[in-house]
Amino acid sequence: MEQNPVTANGSPDLAVELGPLRLKNPVMSASGTFGYGEEYSNFVDLRRLGAVVVKGISLEPRAGNPPPRIVETPGGMMNAIGLENVGVEQFLSLKLPYLRELSVPVIVNIFGNTVDEYGRLAARLDGTPGIAAIEINVSCPNVKKGGMVFGTDPAMTGAVVRAVRAKTSLPVITKLTPNVTSISEVAKAAEGAGSDIISCINTLAAMAVDIFSRRPRLANVFGGLSGPAVKPVALRCVYEVTRAVKCPVIGLGGITSATDALEFLLVGASAVQVGTANFTNPAVTVEIVEGIKRFMEVEGIGDIKSYIGSLDTSCLFPFAEDSCSLIESEMS
Amino acid sequence: MDKIIEEARIVEQERILGQIFRLRLHSPKIAGAARPGQFVMMRVREGTDPLLRRPFSFSRIYAEKGDFEILYRVVGKGTRLMSGLLPGASASLVGPLGNGFELPAAGSAPLAFIAGGIGIAPLLELIERVMARQKGAEDLRLFYGARTAEELLPEDFVRMPGLRVHFSTDDGSFGYKGRITRMFEDVMAEGAFRPSGIYSCGPLAMQYNVAKWALANDTLAQLSLESLMACGIGACLGCALPASTPEDPGAERFVHVCKDGPIFSAGSIKWNKILSQQTVPPTWPSN
Ligand SMILES: Cc1cc2nc3c(=O)[nH]c(=O)nc-3n(C[C@H](O)[C@H](O)[C@H](O)COP(=O)(O)OP(=O)(O)OC[C@H]3O[C@@H](n4cnc5c(N)ncnc54)[C@H](O)[C@@H]3O)c2cc1C
Ligand SMILES: Cc1cc2nc3c(=O)[nH]c(=O)nc-3n(C[C@H](O)[C@H](O)[C@H](O)COP(=O)(O)O)c2cc1C
Ligand code: FES
Repeated sequence: MEQNPVTANGSPDLAVELGPLRLKNPVMSASGTFGYGEEYSNFVDLRRLGAVVVKGISLEPRAGNPPPRIVETPGGMMNAIGLENVGVEQFLSLKLPYLRELSVPVIVNIFGNTVDEYGRLAARLDGTPGIAAIEINVSCPNVKKGGMVFGTDPAMTGAVVRAVRAKTSLPVITKLTPNVTSISEVAKAAEGAGSDIISCINTLAAMAVDIFSRRPRLANVFGGLSGPAVKPVALRCVYEVTRAVKCPVIGLGGITSATDALEFLLVGASAVQVGTANFTNPAVTVEIVEGIKRFMEVEGIGDIKSYIGSLDTSCLFPFAEDSCSLIESEMS
Repeated sequence: MDKIIEEARIVEQERILGQIFRLRLHSPKIAGAARPGQFVMMRVREGTDPLLRRPFSFSRIYAEKGDFEILYRVVGKGTRLMSGLLPGASASLVGPLGNGFELPAAGSAPLAFIAGGIGIAPLLELIERVMARQKGAEDLRLFYGARTAEELLPEDFVRMPGLRVHFSTDDGSFGYKGRITRMFEDVMAEGAFRPSGIYSCGPLAMQYNVAKWALANDTLAQLSLESLMACGIGACLGCALPASTPEDPGAERFVHVCKDGPIFSAGSIKWNKILSQQTVPPTWPSN
């Protein structure tokens, strides 16, 4: 495979372009696992991240679900936080200024109970300095459609994206749920409705119970599974989505290392987000940036863009007759 | 307050009795910043199983030596792995976390310390600090209970000059027979001891009874509370407990144990909204 040589000064180029969104490297935090950024300022230099994606924001503050809200599972965890957040006004006045001061690109994750609420949030954020993009979380129940989750229906997803698109000139990212039969169909609907970028995956619907008390472990009964356990599912989703749409894709789900991140880039994601791994290692995001850089140096990859989507799924039969000469030349 | 990631070295690992262990760690940055009532998130081993760090209180802090101790009970996978750590091994820590106890003004005794089971851990360092500031004549009492004598730390662990200790066991195998909060109420009923402040740590059911007494008797109480935690630094919002909202009793609001706590006043929790899942279920020995 052809590779760009390492750039003149010897330092590999990690910058990525996701349509209208340009990032200095492909590593971001995932919504809901990084607070509003400041929580991690003791552990990482936030300016070294491609972007910070903040906790999901709604029009009004939300208290969230009753506890217990989390439970650990093999290689993962489930959460039912219930989208607790300070609301858009407090976010803008109390949380955003800290990140704006640092000049960290901020991606604001938004959710609503109705299509209209998504549109109003987008309008409120539009034109606010310090915001690099809006990420639409469609993994929420639509109260006007009997609580059906927006993201499980291509038409409802399209309606949400259109409502946001109409109210903002910021880059729009649509974050897909894996809890569907065909994630490609939903991705196409989002792209068709004007989404500049797709991110996937959100958490997998899951459950845990206690055999003694005979009760669900989470007060909410269901929770969202995340962490290393979901990575193979996430990779498959990214693979499918990158082949279904033309717009850039952000991959996430179970990333804990540079190797994991590179797997997503290889499959076709133009950037990645890191979620649950922040809990285990609060410095993991910057460590992943450094790890990707080291990998590029060792592999002689000058530009990360040349690695993105370079997965080779063609068949190669090293022991077939006509490849023998190739093997012999390699052995000599 | 700065939070630190530090690779700690295991200095000592001692099985005190039964499932209770004492772990001494060399972790100079964290030990230097730690206050009683705060905690660390400990990664008991690398890899994905267990995935999350586990929270543990500082039971003793030796800032000048760069060490601190954790007193812990083996209850599951993480603590079992922890009990296998040998001196010289290392473990990743994040800390110091949480608010910590507010120390009483010097000479403000009488004070009551109430410890249920492994809840004795954060109180040991606290008692030590309070004793160091008192003049010696004040009435300081530790109420210390467990299910049975086999789960009580040896007496010399908790006896300090100037501290009166009341022991209880649920089965009466040592000290008062019955629940620790009943022993506490019995002593209060005698009338000779009336604390101006209470510090307590233990199971949620015990903490509820302490809080109820403190509220009914208009006594300040600082309770060390627990919740399952993922991040320990206020980012995941997983460690919520229902908050009392006196200004608007119908409102639903939550505090977060890792950030707003783990030390709470009796009146800050909406006890009647805590679900049974929040209390620790029994562990299955064969697991
Ligand atoms: C702020 C804080 C300070 C703590 N300090 C101490 C301490 O000084 N000494 C000590 O022995 N323990 C302490 N704990 C409890 C300790 O964190 C748990 O016992 C530990 O996480 C269990 O891990 P495990 O993998 O062994 O158990 P798991 O396999 O995770 O679970 C086994 C059992 O322990 C229960 N459990 C799991 N996590 C907790 C928890 N956070 N709190 C209570 N029960 C839990 C589970 O419900 C289950 O029944 C503290 C907890 C908090 C929140
Ligand atoms: C505690 C917690 C809270 C989350 N909150 C949000 C949220 O507010 N909005 C959102 O779009 N995704 C949220 N997520 C999903 C993550 O952003 C991410 O999609 C998912 O966890 C998979 O990635 P991971 O395996 O790296 O964690 C949350 C995940 C966790 C664990
Ligand atoms: S444990 Fe994550 S917010 Fe408290």
